[in-house]
Amino acid sequence: MKRMRRYVRNNAVPLALLAPAVMIILVVVLLPLIFSFYTGFTNYRLIRPESLWDFIGLRNYARVLTDADFWAALWRTVLFLTVALNLEMLLGLCLALMVNRITWGQRTMRTIMMFPMMFSPILVGFQFKYMFNDTIGVVNNALQSLGLSQKAIPFLVDRWLAFGSIAFAEIWMSTSIFAILILAGLFAMPRDPIEAARVDGCTSWQVFRHITLPFLMPFIYIAMTIRSLDVARAYDIVDVMTGGGPAGRTELLWTLIARTAYDDARMGRANAMAYVSILLSIFFTWFFFRKLMAARQHLGAF
Amino acid sequence: MSRGQRDFLIWVATFLVMLAICIPGLWVVLSAFRPNGEILTKPAVWIPRDLSFDNFRAIFGLGDNVVGIPVGSYFWNSAVISVTSTVVAVTIGMSGGYAFARYRFPGKSSAFLWLMLSRTVPGIALSLPLFILWSWTGLIDTKLGVIIVYTAINVPFTIWLTEGFFRQVPRDLSEAAQIDGCTPWQAFWKVEFPLAKSGIASAAIFAFLTSWNEYALASQLTRSTDSKTLPVGLMDFTAQFTIDWAGMSAMAVIIIIPALILTFLVQKHLIAGLTFGGVKG
Amino acid sequence: MAEVSLRKVIKRYGQMEVVHGIDLEIAHNEFVVLVGPSGCGKSTTLRMIAGLEEISDGEIAIGGKVVNRLPPRQRNISMVFQNYALYPHMTVRENLGFSLKIAGKAREEIDRAADEAAQILGLTPYMDRTPGELSGGQRQRVAMGRAIVRHPDVFLFDEPLSNLDAKLRSQMRIEIKKLHQTVATTVVYVTHDQVEAMTLADRIVIMRDGHIVQTGTPLDVFERPVNTFVATFIGSPAMNLVDGMAEGGAIRLSDNVRVPLPHGFAALAEGQRVTFGFRADNLMPLGHGLAETGEVATLELPVSLAEPLGAETLLLAEIAGKEVQAKMMHPRPVSPGEVLKFQLALDYCHLFDAESGVRLERKRDHGTD
Repeated sequence: MKRMRRYVRNNAVPLALLAPAVMIILVVVLLPLIFSFYTGFTNYRLIRPESLWDFIGLRNYARVLTDADFWAALWRTVLFLTVALNLEMLLGLCLALMVNRITWGQRTMRTIMMFPMMFSPILVGFQFKYMFNDTIGVVNNALQSLGLSQKAIPFLVDRWLAFGSIAFAEIWMSTSIFAILILAGLFAMPRDPIEAARVDGCTSWQVFRHITLPFLMPFIYIAMTIRSLDVARAYDIVDVMTGGGPAGRTELLWTLIARTAYDDARMGRANAMAYVSILLSIFFTWFFFRKLMAARQHLGAF
Repeated sequence: MSRGQRDFLIWVATFLVMLAICIPGLWVVLSAFRPNGEILTKPAVWIPRDLSFDNFRAIFGLGDNVVGIPVGSYFWNSAVISVTSTVVAVTIGMSGGYAFARYRFPGKSSAFLWLMLSRTVPGIALSLPLFILWSWTGLIDTKLGVIIVYTAINVPFTIWLTEGFFRQVPRDLSEAAQIDGCTPWQAFWKVEFPLAKSGIASAAIFAFLTSWNEYALASQLTRSTDSKTLPVGLMDFTAQFTIDWAGMSAMAVIIIIPALILTFLVQKHLIAGLTFGGVKG
Repeated sequence: MAEVSLRKVIKRYGQMEVVHGIDLEIAHNEFVVLVGPSGCGKSTTLRMIAGLEEISDGEIAIGGKVVNRLPPRQRNISMVFQNYALYPHMTVRENLGFSLKIAGKAREEIDRAADEAAQILGLTPYMDRTPGELSGGQRQRVAMGRAIVRHPDVFLFDEPLSNLDAKLRSQMRIEIKKLHQTVATTVVYVTHDQVEAMTLADRIVIMRDGHIVQTGTPLDVFERPVNTFVATFIGSPAMNLVDGMAEGGAIRLSDNVRVPLPHGFAALAEGQRVTFGFRADNLMPLGHGLAETGEVATLELPVSLAEPLGAETLLLAEIAGKEVQAKMMHPRPVSPGEVLKFQLALDYCHLFDAESGVRLERKRDHGTD
């Protein structure tokens, strides 16, 4: 207690400056999370308020962990994130390298590249739901007009096509953040090491592989860290495009949580799942943050 | 192939990629000006024949065929919620960012890490307890309830961005100002704030966009026209028996325009803020 | 009148004490230079005078008034920072006038003061530029101009010249000295460069590890360094130090190098271990030195390296396996390995206790003059 008081007195100014930020996060994030952690151990259902006190121990977690739907959704989510993040990174890298090469109209190109970043995920979902629609979607219309396909392709109904369509929307939305940050890295790149490597007889590929890419890695990890902060935005896209359906074929962890909580009204079980999703997000962020720190140390030589 | 030719080819390729990126958005914008009839026609009509503002009139309840969705109210709710939460979040976040940039105190780096981690909680996971707590406190389905939540989710990122911008302002400028006769408060507003201003503006716009575009939390915490935001309202269209594609497109355009303008204004600072916050530790 | 007094001033960061009870009296209009290696506490001391660092213990008074609890703005001081700390978003004129504007002075008065300062420092043509459009030397001038417009009681300088190149540095050194003569004010100046300290100071304060080691006029500290630290820190090239032992009325530096005991050290106990110090200026080859009066010892030493500087040549010679520097006036070419006869002016030699490094004083009682 005495130490606490001395700590506060010695650091009064920064603590006062931080107090509002800490307060609001305590109230809006930490407190609810403690509450939801508790409800994860109850049989809480929205329609029966008294069930909040119905303590059932680990049964929710046991139920969740033995639920095939949950594992399917979790597996699908991890696959989705792996595919999406990797493709976003590769495409972003290509895009950045291309824009970096051109001189005429570079600023305009860069601005266009940022275009998808402004889109609300819900808009991205709507946009691709519209484009991939099997009767009026522009993609089906184009395929049919060009004679490439006789009948409508059920982009949002078929299991894998729907998965692909959603991933496509996600990638369209988030590639630009990689492209922008990698481009910033390319702009910040010193010329000397490249020239030295050329003099040492490296081919263009070797220069890229051994000089450019290592220098870009911290920027790629920043993009990954920022991205992993809001991977859960995919919920919005799925919700508007397929709603997790048809028949749960495109259910991701987040849509499953929403359905369990609000449609089935099983708050307790949904909260148990929510904790799994939180851990997933923290894991991704932490993983890339660690990589970022390591890459930064490694780059100390530059 | 000469160097000039190769450069030209790369330029063309880049141009085509950029065009491909734009097409989905442009298609929606185009649809916003076409009547539903033309969109639904089979076989597809490729060259628009009938462009008008009818869809926009309809969703605002002005034209002949009125859409039963109160887009005007949603727009107003979105504007009030986003602006208020941005102003509050930037004020709070700026103060926190300044503390991290200028003061040393025990536990600083772990405090920073915990604040950032609070941002990783998925919206839908956070919505569950908030839904219950807000129902108990009467904040559910009110603009105030959403504003509080958005302020909280915007604070960590605002701290991150402003901390980076304040760190760029040399510490001795504030000291020089204090020797020149300023109080610490004056030194901040006359010297440090003007120098970090553009960065703070971009942090504000980032916060605004986050609030403006947010869906997962708003979809659970709002129910009525008093508090529903535009992204939540957009889903009203899908609840109907037949989807009004043209109306949805028009609403999409309304959502995207403010975001578009604001992003263009700050694109440069945004990139700077994101990168030096991370690279030059 | 603005004397600055530091009484038992202590600075702690948490548990760590970095300034250990400093006492210093600075007279009105005196130019005092705090000098020492980095980390010696000189900048912290200056910042405590400025009010930018809290004083953990002790007392600081400016013009007889204790200022411990006063914020910087109420101490009527001005400061020139190492990185100038010019406000990048203001023009030169606005930078110069900022303090007066904060003080709520009238527009005309601010302009007049800014113009006057610009006049003194030759900044008049640049008044409407921003700091980003100025060269290093010009920024330095603006920083000084900003300090003088308010007519402060005390000027504080925190390593103001360390970011300039050598040529500009010596030029600005002269300007600072002139400035002090024009606007007579108390000055406290921090630097790690002993040349700056010697050339600028009325009085030098040498600091090390949070203590004041020696205080005195530039000549004082040059001629009578209190210990080996000051001896090597002040003066360039650094004083040569060779360990030796008092033996039969001489100092044995090595098996074959012995130097007669300098005048006034006859009381040295037989076998006492000492550190023998002398400057390069006082060790010169026979026939290439200045005409020396007084006691002179002659030593034969091998030369390992010669650095011709034009008017003189610096020689590296060896005593007891240790390199010492010597100076050769009216130089002639010297090849490495050559053995030269050197003359050592004993009147300018110093003796220090080998253990503590403390200066051993010459005793007058034995003297015959």
